[in-house]
Amino acid sequence: MSEENAKSRRRFLQASAGLAVAAMTPAIVRAQGTPLQLGVLTPLTGAGGFDGPRMAKAMQAVIDEVNAAGGLLGRKVVLVVEDDQTNPEAAVRGARKLIDVTKVPAIMGTWASAVTSAVAPLCWESRTFLTTVSGADSITKLPHQGYLIRTQPNNHLQAGKHAEFIASLGIRRCYMLSIQAPFSQPTQDRATEVLKQLNSQMVGTLIYDKDKTTYRSEVDQALRTNPDLIYLNGYAPDVTILLRDLYRAGYSGLRFAQSYAVTSKVLESLPPEVTEGVITVQPSADVSSPAYELAKKRLSLPEPDSYETQATDWASLVSLAIAHAKVATGEGIHDHVRRISQGNGTKVYSATEGIKLLAQGKEINYEGASGPCDFTDIGDIVDCKFRYNKVVGGKFQLLKVA
Amino acid sequence: MTSLAEVPQLVVNGVMAGTILAVPAIGLTAIYAVLRFPNFALASHATIGAFAGYVANVRLGLPILPSIVLAFLVAGAVGVASDELVLKRFRPAGYITTAIASIALTIALENLVRFTFGNELRGYDLPIVRDLHLGTIRVGPQQLQNLLIAAIAMVALFAFLAFTRTGKAMRAVADNPMLASIKGINADVIGRIVNFVGMGLAGFGGMLIGLDTTIDPLTGFRSILSVFAAAVVGGLGSIPGAVLGALTVGIGEELCLLFLSPDYRSAIGFVAILLVLTLRPRGILGQAAY
Repeated sequence: MSEENAKSRRRFLQASAGLAVAAMTPAIVRAQGTPLQLGVLTPLTGAGGFDGPRMAKAMQAVIDEVNAAGGLLGRKVVLVVEDDQTNPEAAVRGARKLIDVTKVPAIMGTWASAVTSAVAPLCWESRTFLTTVSGADSITKLPHQGYLIRTQPNNHLQAGKHAEFIASLGIRRCYMLSIQAPFSQPTQDRATEVLKQLNSQMVGTLIYDKDKTTYRSEVDQALRTNPDLIYLNGYAPDVTILLRDLYRAGYSGLRFAQSYAVTSKVLESLPPEVTEGVITVQPSADVSSPAYELAKKRLSLPEPDSYETQATDWASLVSLAIAHAKVATGEGIHDHVRRISQGNGTKVYSATEGIKLLAQGKEINYEGASGPCDFTDIGDIVDCKFRYNKVVGGKFQLLKVA
Repeated sequence: MTSLAEVPQLVVNGVMAGTILAVPAIGLTAIYAVLRFPNFALASHATIGAFAGYVANVRLGLPILPSIVLAFLVAGAVGVASDELVLKRFRPAGYITTAIASIALTIALENLVRFTFGNELRGYDLPIVRDLHLGTIRVGPQQLQNLLIAAIAMVALFAFLAFTRTGKAMRAVADNPMLASIKGINADVIGRIVNFVGMGLAGFGGMLIGLDTTIDPLTGFRSILSVFAAAVVGGLGSIPGAVLGALTVGIGEELCLLFLSPDYRSAIGFVAILLVLTLRPRGILGQAAY
């Protein structure tokens, strides 16, 4: 066989193979052209390894729904997932790949504050939109030029809400015992300010040293102010000791703590009489929202948690912003995300519902599964729900979600 | 800020905290006296003792006293084994190398505990009792009991060192290893005994700390700096010094609340180290530095 013949046969085979592949591809994909790629950068391993995979799953579920309804801008949406390993260095590598190689308009999912702080500059410099659950106040104070939103309440919002709850219990005298940590002083200051506005009072605050075996003198100092409620703003090992020392001292008022400081393991490690009546608080999904009901069905879960619902909202917000902007770029999402999440448009509770209305030329206001998803200028949420539990007989009982 | 009227209460709190600190501090100082290196593996042995006591108390349902004896025995046995297998080989390389090896050892052992028991907080099966009010002073019955147990252990140790042949041999090695060996005292055997007693006391102290708090793999590590401070302030190598040092650190940390915010409490132990080492380099009751 001559060489010329061999070449032309190879070309023929290549061409037929290409045709065969094209013929096997479903019509819907062919109609949509190149897929629209969105970046996901969650911790699949490391400290965030419990939340990251669930967040990625929640985003995928929203995108599957969007694709089933015809995709975005006539294109199929594909999530490109990178593992940030809960490690800033690995996260920067993952983000670089998403930004430089995949050229995504948005990265969704950073979890640890250190990771978000490392990735955010890459995002705003490349005009890539970033959504996160990191809670440190400093995150939204970065010069991100609007290329970042977070759905997690920051310290300031949390402290304010906690103080409102405490005042709503009729507490007149509150004392705050805080561990030495970056969040302690801002939390004390904000709670003091809000209590004062609500005719309640912070009668004293104290920041204690961690890693002590007893806090008797600190407890004495707190009890001298006769508080009705003591806010224990620390971590599990020290809050456990404080609960013991408060019990020993005969304190009978209320005790209030973050849910990560009084966990079910803490309840197991202490006799029930010591923890009886402790109230815990944590940011909550908006369980009364229709968007939450939809998330439950979409994820086939009885109670999607705060992280799953926040991830649901990112995928929805980014999809809706692209649909509103009619262009899949970081600038487009940046300019349009607040136009679909807040304002006087028709309230919608899912991405597909919103995309349909946008196609009809209507304005929308997305209300999420994690909360109303209204953002301040620097990208913080304006409001969110909190879950309050009370310890009864060594077990948690839901007090309310508000 | 705390007022002067609170001084008696602060002193009581300090004595109770200091007594518990004294038990592992004695262990550290005893090992130093005989083997001449600060054994930081004390931290993980305190944790191991606390967990051994936990297994005895919660899993096997034993009362607190036998559990505490078991904490002593298990931590002591692990102490002898870890010294024979690991630290002994480092000793010819000098005390700094051995001290650094002991830090590595403590991290390894701590992770072994983490691997076996997990990271969760655990508590002993012990009801928590309300404090007694004696006039204006508040005292916890459990803490009084811990104080008593610690005091009995210290008296037993002093009796052991003062009246038994082995105890005297230990003191002889600590005082002058060369002379002791000429007299036919086997330094290796004494080394094992001091490790058993020293690490046993660490485990004992670990459980006492756990009785008052909760335990997790970091229980020993959290306290080791205060224990070290107590031993150094009292004079490394002096057992009465360790007790005095622990009380100084314990009471000092409490009294500092009169003029400092509680978040500076840990700093007091180290200020005490600086002061003592500047004014009296061998510690309050320390022997002359070798």
